Amino acid sequence: MAGTGKNEETKTLAEEADSLWLITFAGSIWAVHFLVCYCATAVICAKLGGDAAAILMLRLALGGVTLVALAGIAFVGWRSWLQWDFLDDGDYVHNLARKEDRHEFLGHASFLLSIISFIGVIYVSLPVLFLETCQ
Amino acid sequence: MIMASTLTGAAPDSNNVYPPTEEMLAKPVDEAATRRGAEELRETWKTPKGFRYLTAVNNSEVGKWYALSAFFFMMCAGVLGLLIRLQLAVPGNDFLSADRFNQFFTMHGSAMMFLFAVPMFEAISILLLPGLLGARDMPFPRLSAYGFWCFIIGGVFVMGSILFGVAPNSGWFMYPPLATEAEGIGSDIWLLGLSFIEVASIAAAVELIVGVLKCRPPGMRINLMPLYGWYVLVVGGMILFAFPPLIAGDFLFELQRSFDWPFFDPERGGDPMLWQHLFWIFGHPEVYIIFLPSIAIAAMVVPTAAQRPIVGYSWIVLSAVGTGFLSFGLWVHHMFTTGLPSMSLGFFSAASEAVVIPTGIQLFAFVATLMVGRVKMSLPMLFIAGALAIFTAGGLTGVMVALAPFDWQAHDTYFVVAHLHYTLFGGMVFPLMAGVYYFYPFFTKKTLSVRTGRIVFWLMFVGFNVTFMPMHFTGLMGMPRRVYTYPSVMGWDLLNLISTIGAFIVAAGFVLFAIDLLRPRGKQPLAARNPWKAGTLEWSHNVPEENWGSRSVPYITSRYPLWEQENIVERMDKGRYYLPDAPDLKRETLVTTVLDARPIQCLRVTGPTWITILAAVFTGGAFIFPTFHWYPPAIVSGGAAIACIIYWLWTATSQIPAKDKEMRDVGLSLKLPVYASGPDSVGWWGVWITMLGDATAFASLVFGYFFYWTAKPDFPPAGTEHALAGPLTLGVAALIASWASIYGARVVNRKGKVATARTLLIAAPVLAILGSGLFYFSVAGSGLDPTSHVYPAIIWAVMIWTIVHTGGGVIMQCYCLAGSLFGKVTPEHDSDLWNVTLYWHFVCLTVVVAGLTIGLMPRVM
Ligand code: HEM
Ligand SMILES: [Cu+2]
Repeated sequence: MAGTGKNEETKTLAEEADSLWLITFAGSIWAVHFLVCYCATAVICAKLGGDAAAILMLRLALGGVTLVALAGIAFVGWRSWLQWDFLDDGDYVHNLARKEDRHEFLGHASFLLSIISFIGVIYVSLPVLFLETCQ
Repeated sequence: MIMASTLTGAAPDSNNVYPPTEEMLAKPVDEAATRRGAEELRETWKTPKGFRYLTAVNNSEVGKWYALSAFFFMMCAGVLGLLIRLQLAVPGNDFLSADRFNQFFTMHGSAMMFLFAVPMFEAISILLLPGLLGARDMPFPRLSAYGFWCFIIGGVFVMGSILFGVAPNSGWFMYPPLATEAEGIGSDIWLLGLSFIEVASIAAAVELIVGVLKCRPPGMRINLMPLYGWYVLVVGGMILFAFPPLIAGDFLFELQRSFDWPFFDPERGGDPMLWQHLFWIFGHPEVYIIFLPSIAIAAMVVPTAAQRPIVGYSWIVLSAVGTGFLSFGLWVHHMFTTGLPSMSLGFFSAASEAVVIPTGIQLFAFVATLMVGRVKMSLPMLFIAGALAIFTAGGLTGVMVALAPFDWQAHDTYFVVAHLHYTLFGGMVFPLMAGVYYFYPFFTKKTLSVRTGRIVFWLMFVGFNVTFMPMHFTGLMGMPRRVYTYPSVMGWDLLNLISTIGAFIVAAGFVLFAIDLLRPRGKQPLAARNPWKAGTLEWSHNVPEENWGSRSVPYITSRYPLWEQENIVERMDKGRYYLPDAPDLKRETLVTTVLDARPIQCLRVTGPTWITILAAVFTGGAFIFPTFHWYPPAIVSGGAAIACIIYWLWTATSQIPAKDKEMRDVGLSLKLPVYASGPDSVGWWGVWITMLGDATAFASLVFGYFFYWTAKPDFPPAGTEHALAGPLTLGVAALIASWASIYGARVVNRKGKVATARTLLIAAPVLAILGSGLFYFSVAGSGLDPTSHVYPAIIWAVMIWTIVHTGGGVIMQCYCLAGSLFGKVTPEHDSDLWNVTLYWHFVCLTVVVAGLTIGLMPRVM
């Protein structure tokens, strides 16, 4: 008897679809950025190891990727800050059995997650700025 | 602000009320109804007696067996640790031979990691979750039982090998070429035995994730969930993404050992580094898989000790999730000395440090909670405090190890052994002890002795530091790890002797603990119902014990219901809430929505059975026979396992209720359907989550393919054959058509066109068999010889992986066809079709990616 229940599950999930996506975005951007950095470096170093120009290009390209990633995370952070809506009601506990609390809680969590991911991305890209060769 | 009342109307049925009003909840329950309900529940949930006790599937029994077995394996591994220390007590000792020593430390490490740390988390969660969520049981009780039996069979097999002197001996991470070329069956035991256990671990993880998502009590929205639930989600998710790469690695490794496919053999284009990658993609998250559950325990103990809600709930949730993510980035820091280009090394070094932030946040939140509360130094808190001290020390040395240049000297010395044990004892053993002391009254309705407990704590704490502190110095003096003996060098002798003495002090602590844990408690009075005055739902348990889990499933509106919701326990006891009875004597629990926990189904859960044990025994055979290269019995055993599982699914899952029993009155004016399909049903979520893990394993294989391409100039080798383009394309097309058929069958069946659906259900397996055949032929008929070079070998591996999955898909399609013919699948009751279609979504993806990888990529590369 799928009728009644089905609507229930799909309804709330659809209602919060945006925040559920939001929550995964920051972390995923970090992960993708990390993989791109790792794979690009591994391929360039393995296939074009000694070529200084290639390494310079790589660092520039990864710098660009990093900026994009940071901008993406900042955007996610801003959206979730709006969703958290802290300045409006000052709520950071979200322990009531209300739809609003659930909604703001998801916003709060993804806001914090984007801060962590932001720092994570910076950490991962620091070596790009400082290292000059594959050795 | 949105008022709760705007959310009423769980279902269009106007007789249904949700959420319940305070008035409804305050109404007293008729005494006779309470008594009748209790009797029905007691009858329904009673545990089988005598030797049928083994057929129990209730979470409280399975969880207990699981935890005790994990504890037993831990004690075995601990004995090995002691024997290692005995051998190392004095220089030039010949108590153990070199080979025996190697087996001992390999098994010590492997058993601690695979047979103790991870299973223990799953065991405790299985025991705890239903209580924590006010549920009757886990959503798939038989799956937990099956997982447990697989675990015990695999564990005894792997552990037992040490008695015959044939245990694996290449270290717990099995680096090739050492392990690929090792004589004897040790490595095979490790690969197959532990893969088997990993499969069981994944099964338990699926169960736990679905439990947390779908079996919360009504009203327990995602923001009200106990922190332990969040950790279960994170850790379950990590198991799902971390174990499959290892399983993929095991698969390749065993192919090399059994059939000489050269994945890790540089002579023929292979590369041992691939194993290291796959192993550590697993290995680092593993460290956090082990220690996040312990933080979860702390997150339960700390608020109770402080007698106030946790500070920074959102922060803790985020840190747990963040740790989960970041830990996957740490994978290569374990290989700092293996010569990756230093530029990529930089990334990993950085990523390792990033994980310190979320870990720190969690610890700060706990300290803050303790500071604003009124702390009583209970025994569990004592263990938590000890854990904090040890873990912090371990964290500091960890940062030292993570800094790459330092690692060059510290790598492979006793410094690493010391660091490892500081993290593991601080991050796992001590918090676990805290958890056992804290939850013991919940598990057994009796208490552990506080006086003995304090002695246990001090023995362990002092003994631990005496053992492992000196290892930092022996390490810095250059003593390598994994040596079975050492010459008498200045300073080493004394420090090693101290370590050995310390090890026996720790052991004394464990023995004392085991005695207190296991001694008979017949005469001891029952524990108080809520001895720690905690606020979470599990402390509404019944003393003396009842097997029904929760007398009635409460309506939750706060994070600490026992503190914040007046009368809740009394109302639960009276049967004021949901499911207060079992008129049909069927085991039931509530299923709710993922975000807001609105009740949507009254799920019939499965009861005691032998079939899970049989299925586990045969599955065990399928994994264990190949260690001895006995393939025919392995295949027979595998077939029998599949038969058992089909029987079990057919007779016990997605049963269609009788016409007048479609809806169940669950109390409080709410009627819920008994049957559910698609995203409403727990089975669908179980398939979805399992397939995520499966897809990860496949992605690891594909990663292997591309890894060879970046790392090896001769990949693919010049002038090689490729997979045949024609058959491959046709095969992929046929498999896609098969996917479309099953999908179509689901859609038209729902519309009531049963005949069309059956036609499609016949077409689907035919197409799938045809497609699999073509796919097989495109590789087998191309003259690619898997033993000649790694390129054909990986193509064969991808092909085998794919057709095993399409083969499984054929069985499932036939299952649905049979279901349709014999009335198990109807237009209204189609959950089997939904689940199989979902499986096929993933298979279709696998087929397409596999086709592109082996067919298209080599031609464009
Ligand atoms: C009484 C307690 C323990 C003692 C005396 C002990 C002793 C040791 C020693 C001496 C080694 C180094 C062997 C070598 O490199 O030659 C070792 C390795 C190891 N221990 Fe323990 N240990 C204990 C508890 C634990 C616990 C509780 C865990 C995990 C939860 C654990 C996990 C490991 C691992 C993973 C290794 C590495 C094995 C390898 O090198 O392959 N140990 N242990
Ligand atoms: Cu590490």
